[in-house]
Amino acid sequence: MVTLADYKGKVKPDWCPGCGNFAQLSAIGGALTELGIEPKDSVVVSGIGCSSNMPEFINMYGFHGLHGRLLPVAEAIKWANDKLTVIGYGGDGDGFFEGTQHFYHTSKRNVDITYIVSDNQIFGLTTGQASPTTSMGMVTKTTPNGNIEKPLNPLDFALTAGATFVARAFSGDAKHLKDVIKAGIQHRGFSFIDVLSPCVTYNKLNTYDFFRKRVYHIEGNDRKDLMQAYRIAQEWGDRIPIGILYENTDKTYEDYDPILSKGPLINNPVHKLVEDDLEEFV
Amino acid sequence: MKDTEVVVRVAGAAGDGVQSAGLIIAKAFSRSGLYVNTYNYYQSLIRGGQSWYQIRAAHEKVRSQGDGLDVLIALNKDGLTRHTNPMINEGGASPLEGVAIFDKEITGYEKGKATYCEMPLGEIAAKYGKNALMKNTVAIGAMAAAVGLDFSILSGVIADQFGKKGDVADQNVKAAKEGYDYYSSNFKKLGKKIQYGKTKRYLMAGGEAVGLGAVSGGLKMYVGYPMTPASSVMHYLASHTEQFGLFVKVSEDEISAINMAIGANYAGVRAMTGSSGGGFALMTEALGMSGMVEVPLVVYEAQRSGPSTGLPTKTEQGDLMQVIGASQGDYPKVVFAPRNVEEAFYMTREALNLAEKLQMPVIVMSDLYLAEHYESVENLDLNFKIDRGNFAKDNQPDFKRYQYTDSGVSSRALPGQAGLMHNEDSDEHNEYGAVVSDAETDPTLRRLSMEKRMKKINIYLKEMPPTDTYRYSDAEYAIVQWGSTQGVVEEAVDMLREKGIKAGAVEINRVYPLNPDMGKLFSGKKKIIVVENNYSGQINRFLRSEFLVKTELITKYDGESFYPGALAEELEAVIRRN
Repeated sequence: MVTLADYKGKVKPDWCPGCGNFAQLSAIGGALTELGIEPKDSVVVSGIGCSSNMPEFINMYGFHGLHGRLLPVAEAIKWANDKLTVIGYGGDGDGFFEGTQHFYHTSKRNVDITYIVSDNQIFGLTTGQASPTTSMGMVTKTTPNGNIEKPLNPLDFALTAGATFVARAFSGDAKHLKDVIKAGIQHRGFSFIDVLSPCVTYNKLNTYDFFRKRVYHIEGNDRKDLMQAYRIAQEWGDRIPIGILYENTDKTYEDYDPILSKGPLINNPVHKLVEDDLEEFV
Repeated sequence: MKDTEVVVRVAGAAGDGVQSAGLIIAKAFSRSGLYVNTYNYYQSLIRGGQSWYQIRAAHEKVRSQGDGLDVLIALNKDGLTRHTNPMINEGGASPLEGVAIFDKEITGYEKGKATYCEMPLGEIAAKYGKNALMKNTVAIGAMAAAVGLDFSILSGVIADQFGKKGDVADQNVKAAKEGYDYYSSNFKKLGKKIQYGKTKRYLMAGGEAVGLGAVSGGLKMYVGYPMTPASSVMHYLASHTEQFGLFVKVSEDEISAINMAIGANYAGVRAMTGSSGGGFALMTEALGMSGMVEVPLVVYEAQRSGPSTGLPTKTEQGDLMQVIGASQGDYPKVVFAPRNVEEAFYMTREALNLAEKLQMPVIVMSDLYLAEHYESVENLDLNFKIDRGNFAKDNQPDFKRYQYTDSGVSSRALPGQAGLMHNEDSDEHNEYGAVVSDAETDPTLRRLSMEKRMKKINIYLKEMPPTDTYRYSDAEYAIVQWGSTQGVVEEAVDMLREKGIKAGAVEINRVYPLNPDMGKLFSGKKKIIVVENNYSGQINRFLRSEFLVKTELITKYDGESFYPGALAEELEAVIRRN
């Protein structure tokens, strides 16, 4: 029996007190526990940033890679061994700036991994610069006169790119967060979860209070209806939707590929070259 | 040029079928028991321009494209003029003094010293099919007659080439036969003493050899992004996925490609990536990560002329500094530079073993010349023992992924293994993989971790074979080369020897780290002359700084490979200079 304690890491998180990442750390461990997935069979891959330090704080296989580059690593781990539960975990600066290209293409490929973005709408680890999701007008170290760039809409982006599971959660709503992550892990295909996660140190605008006043649970939506999902994704302001916007059961990249569909690459026997393999060169 | 060898060139515009005609000829020579070496001169164009394909064949090993030219198949007027006119000396190739085969519709050309064999190529082709390209086949038939090639061997190659297209194969064989007959009854055979035979050899390009070597080395995944001249490896592997049980992926960019290769290796699957200089530049951050997290990785780097987009279809050895210096910080890496097609096979699979054994990146450098020219390869040893290196046993107590060992190598754990959960971190970390970079920076741990990683290279240095030499035992002049210039340098050395100059070659195929014993090879030599296919002499600087030797430098950076005759002349000039 897997218990939550099994996922407890040896290293104590060094996030700021009150950081939204704590709730996500618990939620990921909780979701994996409830699904009965053993720590040895799960991998978390991260990029660079406060949130990306996660692999050290949780007891599972962890790979803390490069800024914006977690998705290619995560995809390949899944291709190598599809028995593993692979979770990509990063931040908005990491995933939506340098990682945008990979975000788009992994969504389009529909690789069976779960991608969770701790979206605090700011660069935290590098001390508070504007990120791709920073609100317009917000004053940061790099936008002293207020941000003049329209924020990227991660949900809309994921839907357009072809992600087959698109959801949003909030670090201040722990149970819902865990349930959404659980559904994302259970979904076969690329699952994208944008987590509204306040940065208590550098983002004084998008606080817990800010979100508590605005978030509401999406209810009764037809998750297969892409157009409806697009409409929900556009909502931002007085009411901010959280929950699962979209889910479909398309075949995954691994289903389509003639080699991967036969099973994990790690089990493929090594081809022993024989003279016949060289006949084409005669 | 020797009487016992023959050099054939097909010239025309892109889209004229220059390459496919050249390959048929190369294969026909190879199946006639000759050693073959080809040279491909082309442009980054789908149609138009001017390209040529050269085949040099002999019953002795052919080490380069050579200097002369015996038979020209000119598919357009420009091609005919260009290769018969002594005023034009492209990349060092000599103008034709043998026979030129061309269509009678080509008129008004300026005559050189060649024997002009005007033929009704188009008329004959039209009898057998509507495809204008079939006149190439007629010309190939004529070429076979000119050099005394057995027609049945040529027809076999043509049949194989068009085998999948039904009647087309038959039509082409007939067209070639009529070309053969027409030449035989109208023109004289070339006065060459070619000894055809029956020895079976393989004819392959460096890119194919790298792919084949990777398969032999247990590769299960290749991921890349298209870039000439690295793409040929990916093309070969992609067309053999089912046969070899391989997963081949084109990713969104090179950054993704290398991160994917690292991810797969981390999870226990032998994976490799490759690119040319520009793409490799994008990969460098992750290359260093492979050194830091100690995940094995092989990267194939095929140089083309730079900088920037440079000359996409031309060769150069200009990326050595980039490859050696790739990525920030100090980390261990090994760089190979195979000297020929056969060695590209062996070194690629060695790289895969070494990377896993030492848990570090190994780069296999090639260039456009090596990647794309065809060479005869014989007796490939297909036996190979795959060495996966050290893996921890499940549930090993107090598992330290980055344990400080005497050798620097520690046991790996693969996700899925019980009781070995840990973190692999691109940050500096301790033996467990826990970060020591930020709040708790620990100078002692940092030093120990750095030493642990760096000392792994000693294992490689200890097992490194001595540097190869050529005609070196009594050599007074050391000619130093690295990578693909081996054949041409050896031929130049032979030419100098014929003139009584005691030259010998030092051949470097392990470019980083250099073999520390190499310095001994330089002692007592009258001159050390480094030959490089680049502008600034990249290995030259490296040799000088490593071994504190005085060297002279010969470079070529026009996008073409060296030619043996021209190189021998340059070497002689340097040797005679006071």
